[in-house]
Amino acid sequence: MAMALLRRLGQTVLVLFGISVLVFLVFFATPGADPTARIAGRNASPETMALIRHQYGFDRPLPVQYERMMVSLFVTRDLTSFVDHGERVVPEVFRAAPVTLSLVFGAAIVWVLASIGMGTLATALRGSLVDRGLMILGLIGISMPVFWLGEVINLVTQSRMHDSWMFSWVPGLGYVPLTQDPVGWFKVLVIPWITLAILFIGIYGRVLRADLVAAYSEDFMRTAQAKGLSASRVLFRHGLRTSMITFVSLFGLDFAQLVGGGALLTEVVFGLQGVGRLTYQALSNLDLPLIMATVMYSAVFVVLANALVDILYVLLDPRVRDAG
Amino acid sequence: MRPPLLRCLLVALPVMAGNAFAADPAASPYQSAHRGGTLRLTADASGGTLDPQINYVSTNAQIFAVTNDGLTTYAHVDGPGSAVVVPDLADSLPTPLDGGRTYVFHLHPGVRFSTGQPVRPSDVLATMQRIFKVGSPTAGSFYGGIVGAAHCLKDALHCTLAGGVEADDAAGTVTFHLTQPDGEFFDKLAMPHASVVPADTPGHDLGNVPAAATGPYEITEFDPNHGMVLERNPYFRVWSAVAQPEGYVDRIQYDFGLGDEAQVTAVENGQYDWMFNNKPLDRLAELGDRYASQVHIQNMFAIFYMPMNMNLPPFDNLEARQAVNYAVNRRAMAILFGGSAVADPLCEMVPTGIPGRIDRCFYSSGADPDHSVPAWQKPDLARARALVEASGTKGAKVTLIAPNRAIDVSMGLYLQNTLQQIGYDTSVKFVTDSVAFNYIQNTSNKVQISLTDWYADYPAPSNFLDDLFGCENFHPGSDSSINISGVCDAHLQATMDRAGRISVTDPAAGNALWAQAGRQVMKLSAAAPLIQFKYVDLVSRRLGHYTYTLLTHMLFSQVWVR
Repeated sequence: MAMALLRRLGQTVLVLFGISVLVFLVFFATPGADPTARIAGRNASPETMALIRHQYGFDRPLPVQYERMMVSLFVTRDLTSFVDHGERVVPEVFRAAPVTLSLVFGAAIVWVLASIGMGTLATALRGSLVDRGLMILGLIGISMPVFWLGEVINLVTQSRMHDSWMFSWVPGLGYVPLTQDPVGWFKVLVIPWITLAILFIGIYGRVLRADLVAAYSEDFMRTAQAKGLSASRVLFRHGLRTSMITFVSLFGLDFAQLVGGGALLTEVVFGLQGVGRLTYQALSNLDLPLIMATVMYSAVFVVLANALVDILYVLLDPRVRDAG
Repeated sequence: MRPPLLRCLLVALPVMAGNAFAADPAASPYQSAHRGGTLRLTADASGGTLDPQINYVSTNAQIFAVTNDGLTTYAHVDGPGSAVVVPDLADSLPTPLDGGRTYVFHLHPGVRFSTGQPVRPSDVLATMQRIFKVGSPTAGSFYGGIVGAAHCLKDALHCTLAGGVEADDAAGTVTFHLTQPDGEFFDKLAMPHASVVPADTPGHDLGNVPAAATGPYEITEFDPNHGMVLERNPYFRVWSAVAQPEGYVDRIQYDFGLGDEAQVTAVENGQYDWMFNNKPLDRLAELGDRYASQVHIQNMFAIFYMPMNMNLPPFDNLEARQAVNYAVNRRAMAILFGGSAVADPLCEMVPTGIPGRIDRCFYSSGADPDHSVPAWQKPDLARARALVEASGTKGAKVTLIAPNRAIDVSMGLYLQNTLQQIGYDTSVKFVTDSVAFNYIQNTSNKVQISLTDWYADYPAPSNFLDDLFGCENFHPGSDSSINISGVCDAHLQATMDRAGRISVTDPAAGNALWAQAGRQVMKLSAAAPLIQFKYVDLVSRRLGHYTYTLLTHMLFSQVWVR
């Protein structure tokens, strides 16, 4: 167990190192990415450029710059943005994290419940019009880009029908902290939750249905049916449990990348100042310290989620448990 | 091309017309009945550091206009009068001495910082030193002419400006000595970079910590990812209503995070009183149609132009450059920007409203550099093709670089087509907006021709001529080389230098010389001016006493919400 943990830790460090080097090199290899002139300001004189270059250490060799950046990111944690000069990026990412967590947790609950309902209902009624209708709806959900859907929903709820009885309750875009106003928090997030969840409901519902249908041809399902168990017990107790393996591994990765900033477009469209929006801003401004901080944060979540998924496998699949 | 919808819809909106300059700006009387309330502002992101001597972003320049003061400022009044320099912390504009090399300012007595400390001449001296110590972007270009500045630029840490700035706290005076006469010295002192801060302000970028204020408001909260709050400066007393009037609202809440589309909707819904970002083109028709009373279209000293690299083929050839100037459809560019209500064709580099203009068009159908016409008519493609043919550059590969913003993309594609029409094998490359401006300046990137915009720091022709075509602003291999065309013409430089010197004592003669320099730039065809564009402001229904200044736009201290 200790060995496995150590191995996982070693892998994590290696992944973070690889990603950070890659981000660093890609940044400096990009033409026009040299941040000196952008920090110095419009029409800065050569002397001012030299002063800024020296102050920020851009006149040092790249390995030294990399080392200094990593030390300020992970050890002293005082790395500051190239755009908002006084802003420390590590606390900034941690301040943004609750917004992203609020968005992603809510959306995850919506999409897990809805996709399980959709997948099992479609399986139970497979071949019927309901099954086909649900699968088509799922496909439509997958096909709609989240930024487009978000903008359309905003157009309807914030602009065109904002004054109607249906949407007059919808508050302006932005985030309200849960601790400050729980009702306000729910109101500003419920539409982003649904918007973000729609894509995943489509994917997960279809995946779950396919796995459930495949499970019905397995020996253990036939045995359960032969034992005379009720159809619902066969579906929920035996079928659903084993069919959740793909669902859970998909969920682990999707959830992690969303918490790590993958809900970027949803956050931007709904004006939520989370990690995704920070990443978007960092990329728009080519703000290397913030890019580095958000990428590292995201990588940590993806690696951790992979580890969690491995553990969940053991709980869900008896074959994995026995092999262990 | 489709008819410009916006031209029809927005043409009826109020447009500030006429010359940008008024003789004596007068403050409007303060109306106490409207005092109080919170002004709610929205922008997509913060404007960066709060250090007024470092920040060079319009978001914060608008904030500094109500929080900080220099020795001089632009009148805080609505309309054309706001382009006039008036004394601010100084009690009058001093008469230039020593042929325009020496200025003695006397400070208003009794002015205090938001910390309670009095504003003293020694603070002014420390401020001027700090410009160099913190590496202000304009340390060289604006303040490099002060005696001792050359040493400060080389060794910022030990900057004293000895012999250049003398402070006498007892007499309340500050004396400046310049190495040569500078007709724009008062303008330069009016910039936020010369905002006077206490002498004990740290000699490094203040970042998220605001400098002590002198204006009616001070920044009390700031988080670049969420927002900013300004509240009344308890030590503020009006010393000049034209320079820094009393504010109406008690509090200014500035939130960051909404995109431009969401900002428009939020202001329409009354959730915010004003939005910072440019209004998206797809919403202009809706604004003109349903919210006309909340829209203000204002003049601004801002242009779109195409610098041509005079050191790279094919634009190292005069005829090739002239061909581009003949070929561009300036009206089409105005339409792509949003229509005639918000943009006008531009024939020369200096925009309308600034003195020292030529007010003639050299490159248009029916005109040439020796026979100008009063206004741009239409492109002359036949002459452009003939010039390309004559230059021997026909078929040359040309890459146009433009930022990847929506307006620039549509303009860039149109211009690519134009260049192809006159005989160039043209491609267009769109570069991310945050990088594009510095990318096109660096000669190492071998940019032949580019599309960019340019805004005046202050209303002077030098901002569009000396800045963009002066030898001192060409730095090969640097991302900060604002003379993008790479022109260094001895004759042109001599004209501009003479114009700068003469303007100190004889502004009219100076303006005539600037016009001559503008003519020389157009004869060299170092760049193709395209359009001058306007500022579209959207405010909430409840916002009253809308006050617009030409350089920093809506004046937050002068609008009211009750």
